[in-house]
Amino acid sequence: MALAAVALLVAVSWWQLLTPPEAAEGETPPTAIALGLDLRGGLSVILTAEPLGNTPVTAEQMSRVETILIERVNGFGVSEATVQRQGAESFLIQLPGVSDPEQALEALGSPGRLEFVDLASITDTATLAALVDLPAREAAGENTTLTAGTYEPFMTGEVITRAVVVTDQFGNPAVSVSMSSEGIKTWAGVTTRLAPLRGQIAIVLDGFVKSAPAVQEPILSGDTQITGTFSIDEARRLAAVLESGALPVDLKVEESRVVGPTLGQESLSQGLFAALVGLGLVGVFMAVYYRGLGVIAWAALAVFGSLFLGVLAILSKSGAFALSLPGIAGTVLTIGMAADSTILILERFKEEIRLGKTYRSAAKSGTGHAIGTSLDANIVTFVSALAIYALAIGPVKGFAFTLMVGIAIGVFVMVFFTRSTMIMIAESVIAKAPALFGVKAGDRDA
Amino acid sequence: MGAKWWMLGISGALLAVAILSLAVNGLVFGIEFQGGTLMTFTGKDGLTVEQMRSALGEVGVPEPGNAPIQKAEDGSFIVRTSEPDPEAAAEEFAAIIDVLGLPAQDTNVTTIGPGWGENVTNAALLALAISLVAILGYVSLRFDYKMSLTAVAALVHDVAIVFGIFSIFGREVTPNTMAALLTILGYSLYDTIVVFHRIRENSQGLMRQTFQSMANDSINQVFARSINTSLTSVIPVACLLAFGGSTLKDFAFALLIGLISSTYSSFGVASPLYVLWKEREPKFAALKKKFDSAASS
Repeated sequence: MALAAVALLVAVSWWQLLTPPEAAEGETPPTAIALGLDLRGGLSVILTAEPLGNTPVTAEQMSRVETILIERVNGFGVSEATVQRQGAESFLIQLPGVSDPEQALEALGSPGRLEFVDLASITDTATLAALVDLPAREAAGENTTLTAGTYEPFMTGEVITRAVVVTDQFGNPAVSVSMSSEGIKTWAGVTTRLAPLRGQIAIVLDGFVKSAPAVQEPILSGDTQITGTFSIDEARRLAAVLESGALPVDLKVEESRVVGPTLGQESLSQGLFAALVGLGLVGVFMAVYYRGLGVIAWAALAVFGSLFLGVLAILSKSGAFALSLPGIAGTVLTIGMAADSTILILERFKEEIRLGKTYRSAAKSGTGHAIGTSLDANIVTFVSALAIYALAIGPVKGFAFTLMVGIAIGVFVMVFFTRSTMIMIAESVIAKAPALFGVKAGDRDA
Repeated sequence: MGAKWWMLGISGALLAVAILSLAVNGLVFGIEFQGGTLMTFTGKDGLTVEQMRSALGEVGVPEPGNAPIQKAEDGSFIVRTSEPDPEAAAEEFAAIIDVLGLPAQDTNVTTIGPGWGENVTNAALLALAISLVAILGYVSLRFDYKMSLTAVAALVHDVAIVFGIFSIFGREVTPNTMAALLTILGYSLYDTIVVFHRIRENSQGLMRQTFQSMANDSINQVFARSINTSLTSVIPVACLLAFGGSTLKDFAFALLIGLISSTYSSFGVASPLYVLWKEREPKFAALKKKFDSAASS
């Protein structure tokens, strides 16, 4: 019974492993077990929210920030990007395939405070002079900034409802914004007033003047283009930032990891190679030391491996798991632990036979004793892994997770596969060719 | 078990060396614990550490003189700087490739902000403390408190040895090392529990021999399987150390030392301490007296 159930589960595992999720259009098909950023390349950052004023960050602000971050990340056009809460005030953001951390970080963490300023309200004369030849300064790669207190915005980014990338009349990328009805009203009022004077309006993002166009005619629809010298990618990020709105907190970069795609690939193949060689050597050792019984150990390892990978594939499909480098380390350690359980069973079996028991009773009592010991040992290791998983921060979690999955499956295989198999074949196979299995039973049936 | 004083002596000496090195050399902590930037470059023929250092200075990396630079066997360079800003770090990475004329390559830069390291350290210490308490509790419940305390003594021994070896070799302690250590906590108990299980089984109705000689028999009975279970874990971990990339080597090095130390400590530390303690119990002390006098008369 137990063996039939195990066989069914192994079949399900292979079915899961052999049917990877379907590829989105124009993308390389994903692997059955999802890969973490350290293996496929990309940018992974941890951002922590810090209050703008003196009051601590609230839960509502955190969910607002999460929404904003998700919008911005999606706006970057990176597929499979994820935003995850980590702890009370941090976010883990993963951008597969992004290898240009500077721009991504700038756009992610940018406060996103957009302001519209009538040049007449600017009191700082040096800045005013600079704004007049803004295009020249931009061409020279110089930024023009406004200092808080020296100007008065008549409108902020809160009025923006939509931001899309367009091309301006010179064929350069620009961002076109639409406004709420309130914004349209203010915008119409100001542009109507300034149009006859050819007055200038500065469009300021986070203190940096993006452009300072002179108003040519009243704008009554609210649709406005923000131009400047940006690339299409920059324009796309700017649009994402503008549409997601201003962050209610400051975001501090706590951790940033960039791994290029070829490096990730290299780490993956090294890890897999190490795991396979490890598995092979353990198999050889078992065969040499336990002879015929080693075949049972192989079978147990094969069942273990199938179930383990199958569970990871199922978890991957639901988005709950991605294999990271530390995860590979956990997997390799797990191979050793699964072999340990089998060894405990085989050794105890041989010992009971040396005591003069029959094959059948040695298989029964031997596996029973060994499982008791192995359970205790597995439980304490599981407890340590759980402590790491629950408390540790960062990539190490992946190690603890695979270790826990491995321990659970190892115990399952030991109880339902190895034990059942031993009992089943004790009389029918081992008893018929004891020399092949390196044992010689007595007749004590107790 | 007759050799228990030898075993404890060897462990004591190893511990003394480990602690001495920790006191004198201390530990090198990775950027994850103190903040900073880690960059990996694909090198080129003839590039020296000095050239790399002067390039760091040229592109404006903070404190270039103090930045540890490692040249790996495959010619790649691992550079640690105190740069706290990831955007600046990415610019520096590109600038260094430019200055040194390195081949075009993937960016591989990790930056950890100041203050974050403290979080990471605290989390690791908390995980360590909770694991220890949980293990103590579980073993006390399943076995007895004397087993649990001597098992933990063996654990502490293993952890101290791992740290000692890291200190002696000047190897960097990273969060991966910490995870490996926490795993060793659990793993070190594996062998100890196998032995203790057998000692408990054999101590039922113990009459015909002393506690010590029974423990000795128990160890002999489980010796083969303990060595084998350790081997099956050591083999894959050694493969990781041999073939894995740098992250995997990080884990593997700590795991390997821990595994070896823990196999030894279950026989060499936990069992002898437990026997010494148990033989102070009146019941087992009486047995010891009986057999000792029988032997001498």
